[in-house]
Amino acid sequence: MSRVLIIGSGISGLTCAIECASRGNHVILVSPFPSERSQSVLAAGGINAVMNPDGEDSIKQHIEDTLKGGCYIAGEKAVTGLCTSAPEIVSWLESLGTVFSRDNDGKIATRAFGGQSFPRTHFSGTATGKQIVTALVMEARRLEGFGFIERRFWTDFYSGLIRDGVCYGAMLYSEATRNVEAVTADAVVIATGGQNALFGKTTGSTQCDGYVAGKLFMQGAELKNLEFIQYHPTTIVTEQKKMLVSEAARGEGGRLFYEEDGKRVYFMEDKFGPKGNLMPRDIVSRCIHETGRQVYLDVSFLGKDKIRKRIPEIYDLCLKYKGLDITKTPVPVVPSVHFFMGGFAVDLHHRTNIKNLYAIGECASMYHGANRLGGNSLLAAIYSGKTAACDLCGRKTDAPDFSSEVKTENEKLEQKRKSESRFPVMYVRGLLADTVNSSLGIVREKGELENGISSVDYYLSIADKINYDRSELEYFNYSLEGILTLAKAVLISASARQESRGAHIRSDFDDQSEEYRAATVISYDGGAFRTRLTGEDDYEG
Amino acid sequence: MKVKILRQQHPGAKPYWQTFDYDGSSNASVAAVLDSINYRDDIVDCDGNPADRISWECSCIQGMCGACAMVINGVPALACDTFVKDLKGDVITIEPLRKFPVISDLVVDRGIIQDNLRKINTYIGEYHKENEKDHELEYQIGRCLKCGLCLEACPNYVKGDNFYGPLFANDSFFVRSRSKGDGKQIKKDYDEHFAKGCSKSLACEKVCPMNIPTLASIAKMNRGK
Repeated sequence: MSRVLIIGSGISGLTCAIECASRGNHVILVSPFPSERSQSVLAAGGINAVMNPDGEDSIKQHIEDTLKGGCYIAGEKAVTGLCTSAPEIVSWLESLGTVFSRDNDGKIATRAFGGQSFPRTHFSGTATGKQIVTALVMEARRLEGFGFIERRFWTDFYSGLIRDGVCYGAMLYSEATRNVEAVTADAVVIATGGQNALFGKTTGSTQCDGYVAGKLFMQGAELKNLEFIQYHPTTIVTEQKKMLVSEAARGEGGRLFYEEDGKRVYFMEDKFGPKGNLMPRDIVSRCIHETGRQVYLDVSFLGKDKIRKRIPEIYDLCLKYKGLDITKTPVPVVPSVHFFMGGFAVDLHHRTNIKNLYAIGECASMYHGANRLGGNSLLAAIYSGKTAACDLCGRKTDAPDFSSEVKTENEKLEQKRKSESRFPVMYVRGLLADTVNSSLGIVREKGELENGISSVDYYLSIADKINYDRSELEYFNYSLEGILTLAKAVLISASARQESRGAHIRSDFDDQSEEYRAATVISYDGGAFRTRLTGEDDYEG
Repeated sequence: MKVKILRQQHPGAKPYWQTFDYDGSSNASVAAVLDSINYRDDIVDCDGNPADRISWECSCIQGMCGACAMVINGVPALACDTFVKDLKGDVITIEPLRKFPVISDLVVDRGIIQDNLRKINTYIGEYHKENEKDHELEYQIGRCLKCGLCLEACPNYVKGDNFYGPLFANDSFFVRSRSKGDGKQIKKDYDEHFAKGCSKSLACEKVCPMNIPTLASIAKMNRGK
C-alpha cells in the first residue's frame, strides 16, 4: 500500500484519488475548498470519445484531429493512449452515475465541437463538468467511508519536500493554525489546474493561480510549452469577468458574424466554408482578432425549444449577466484567456523530472500541443488521473527528516507577518496581470515580451523584500514569488519560440517553422532560466 | 450608496458592523462591489477610518460554484449573481451565513455539509440507469452547488446535528434513483434526517441559485417505501 498525497480536488485530482484508493492505497486529498468550488465545474460543452468505432468516425480519426488541432507538436504515443481510452472513460463516468444527456435511443447524446471530423463530444446539457464532479464526489465519498481517502480542507500547498531530485511529500500550510507542516508520502500528485492569476481574471476560477507550478519550478521541476495559452473565441464581457459562451453554442449550429453597411458578414463561413464556425479555437480567435470589429454569435434561429433543451446554461448566463435573450438576439463576443496548454513537463506516465512527483490535468502539459480541441480537456483530466494512479501504486520511499526545514519556514513566516506593512500583495498581482495581458495577447512580438520580462524582473526584485500584507490571507503573501517566477518563465518561453504556431502568434515571426516543431522545455537553476527544444515523443517516451 | 458589512476578524473574535461607500455601477453584482471596496488604493470605511480587507470566498464569479454564498439584505444569496440594481434602498447589508461557524468576515466553514453526507453514506453503490421520466430532475439535482443557501433559509435547519436539510433530500432521491437495489437504507436515513424535521416551508426552493425543484424530490422520496 502506498501513501499518496494529491494536491487539488477537481476532476483530475478526484479521478486519481478514486483510482489510487480503489487499488487499496491511502490517499490524502488536499484542497482549500470542496470539489464543488473547483474550476472543473465550469467545463461546459462535453467530453470527446468515439463510442461507436464501427460508424463513420474512428479512434484513429480522433487521434489525427487532436494532433492536427495541436499543430503536430503533441506526442503521438500520448495522444493515442488518450483517444483509445476515451470510450472506456465515458462508460466509467456513466457507471458512476454521471447524468449525461440522452438521445432519442437512450444513448449518451453527442454534439459537434471545433476541429472534429465527426461529432464526438458527449455531454450533459452545458454543465458537463459539473455533472461529472457530482458523480466523482459521490464515488470519492464512498472510498472515504472505507478509510482509503482522507480529505483535508482549508489547507494550501506551501512547497515540495524535495531532496536530491526525489520528492518525499509536501509542506502544507493551514490558515487555521497559520503553520506549515510536513506531510510525507510515497508519491505526490499535482492537480492544481491552470495559471489564471497571471492574467488577473480569466474565464476560469480565481482559485487557479499557478503557484504550485511556479514553486515546484523553483525547486527543480521542469515546465513545458508555457507559451501556448488558449484564447477562447466566444466570451461575454461582464462587470466581473469575461464569461465563457461554450463552444456547444456553435456545435449546435451557432454562427459568428460582424456587421458592415447594415449587413451581416459571416466571416468564418466566408473563409472556411459551412464548417467555418467550428474551426479550432486558435484559428477562430485569430480570425476574430483580425476583423478588428465587434463580433456577434447568433443562435436565435435554432429556436427556443432547442436552445432551452440543448444549451440551457448558456441561455441562463446571457440573460442573467448581459440581459440578452439568445432566443431572440445575437450576443456580442470577444476572445479571452481560457486554457493553458503548457505546464509541468511530464512523461507518458505523468511523472515529472523529479522522482515520485506527478502532475495531471491542466497543470500538466500533454496531449494538446499548441492548441487544445474543445472536449479534450475533460478527457485528458480523467485519463491523466488514471494514468498517474496506475504508475504510482506500489511505490515506497523512506522519507528523510525534514523537521529543520519546516522549522525554518515557520520562522520565516513568523518574521514576515510581524510587520504592520500595508504594502498590498494584491496590488503587485494587479500590476502583474496588466503586464502579462499586454505581453501575451492573441498576437505577440519581441518588444512587448521583453518589456514584460523586465517588468516581472522588477516585481521579483521587490517580492522577497516586502513584508506581508496582514489584511490578506497568508497564502496570497507567500505565493507571490512563485506566481511571479512562473510568469517570467511563460514570457521567456514565448520569447524563445520565434515562429507562429497554434495559440502562439508572433507578428514578428509570422510563419510556422519546421525548426520549432518541438516542445519548449524550461528549467530553473538558482535564478537562471534555461529553455531548450525537445521532440514531444522524445520527452513522452 | 452605502455597504454595511458584518465583520469578524477570526473565529473567536467579536463581530462588528462596518460601513463603506460604493459609487460604482448599479449593474455590478455584490461580488463586484466587494472587489471594488477591497482593491481601492486605500481601504477606508465611510468615516475615513482605515479598514482591513473584507474576507469572502470566491472561485467562479458566475453563479456556478457556490463559494460566495452570504446573506444580502436579509436574503441568503450568491454575491456573484445578486445585482445592485435589483436591491431596494440605498444601503446594502451583507452578513455571513449565520448557521455556519464564521472563519473571518463573510467566510464560513460549511464542512458540516460534507460531513453529514459522508456520515450516512450518500453515494451511488452500483449504478442503475435512470428512468427517462426522472432524468430531468436528476440533472437538476446534479447541479447542486452544496453552497448552503437552502440550509440558511430553512426554518427547520439549525446546525445539522440531526436534521440535514433540503440538499440532503435531493441527494437522497438522486442516490436512490441511480443505484441498484431497493434503496431501503437511504429511505430510512431520509426519514430520520429529513422527513421527520421538514415543515415544508419551501424556503429552500426560493433561495436555490440553481432552481432545484426540491419539492419534487421530497414528493418522490415520500412516495417510496
